[in-house]
Amino acid sequence: MRDKLDIEATSRTPAVGFDFAGNHLKISGESYPEDVTEFYRPVFDALDEYLGGLGQGSCRFDFELIYLNSSSAKAVMMLMDKLEAAAANGASVDIHWLYDKEDDTMQELGEEFGEDLESAKFHLEKMSV
Amino acid sequence: MLAGQLMDLRSMLHKQGVIFAYSGYVTEPVLSGVGEALKQKLTIDDADTKTLRSVFAIFVEQMQNIIRYSAEMQLAPPPPASDAGALKEIRYGILTIGREGVDYIVCAGNLVRQTDVERLRERLSRIRDMNKDELKALYKEKLRADPEEGSKGAGLGFMEIARRATQPIEFDFVEVDADYTFFALKATI
Repeated sequence: MRDKLDIEATSRTPAVGFDFAGNHLKISGESYPEDVTEFYRPVFDALDEYLGGLGQGSCRFDFELIYLNSSSAKAVMMLMDKLEAAAANGASVDIHWLYDKEDDTMQELGEEFGEDLESAKFHLEKMSV
Repeated sequence: MLAGQLMDLRSMLHKQGVIFAYSGYVTEPVLSGVGEALKQKLTIDDADTKTLRSVFAIFVEQMQNIIRYSAEMQLAPPPPASDAGALKEIRYGILTIGREGVDYIVCAGNLVRQTDVERLRERLSRIRDMNKDELKALYKEKLRADPEEGSKGAGLGFMEIARRATQPIEFDFVEVDADYTFFALKATI
């Protein structure tokens, strides 16, 4: 199993920093890719592989998104679903949604995603910057 | 003559408060380029963060609607096998960004098929008449649902526009011929 996945940010795609060895996963920046499916496919694949081997272990996922378009919102929901499923199967999952305090739309979106989580622990936080 | 004609076009846009105007075939790189210029302009205007993000978000959804759904299109030559994901067509539309008093306005227009007009009108009327809480509920419902037939995205674009706008969305249709109608959508931020 790979121990990390690193994708650098571009103007239209977020940075992905999955430190599987440290059980700390993070996605940050802006997300409005030309092709959402193409961008997120390797991210989903890597996450599936990692979560498949997590068992009763624990992991933390940080969403630090500044802006996402409507098709990316669907991809983020799928990430949340995968994390929730792993938590329902016994893993200890902490999801942190960090939002810019100047933009309540991203705060509301975080709240909406958080409402659907039962097994995973959800934390809504302001970005420190 | 040449300068006069172009200046007339520019003046007409200027009188309507238009800061950016794009009319033509739209591609994703066009969205990227115009989007970067728009961000710079909003930063120079000293727009607050919420306004900047909302204008930009609505611009992205409006541009992607043209790229994906305009009924006025030309087929591109078949892409090389190495680039099978390349777009097979380019689509035509018009998009303007301007000011009305303190508000920002993002308008987009493109042709749609006559057969799609009623469905589009119904969807947009429903979204226009919803308050923020109703929009939020519908957004969540659609986020969970499978995309509708013919959708190339998540089917959330109009709702994203309505949620980010500070006034109800406005839309209009003008019949062009037996097959096509021109559709326009205006968002105020």
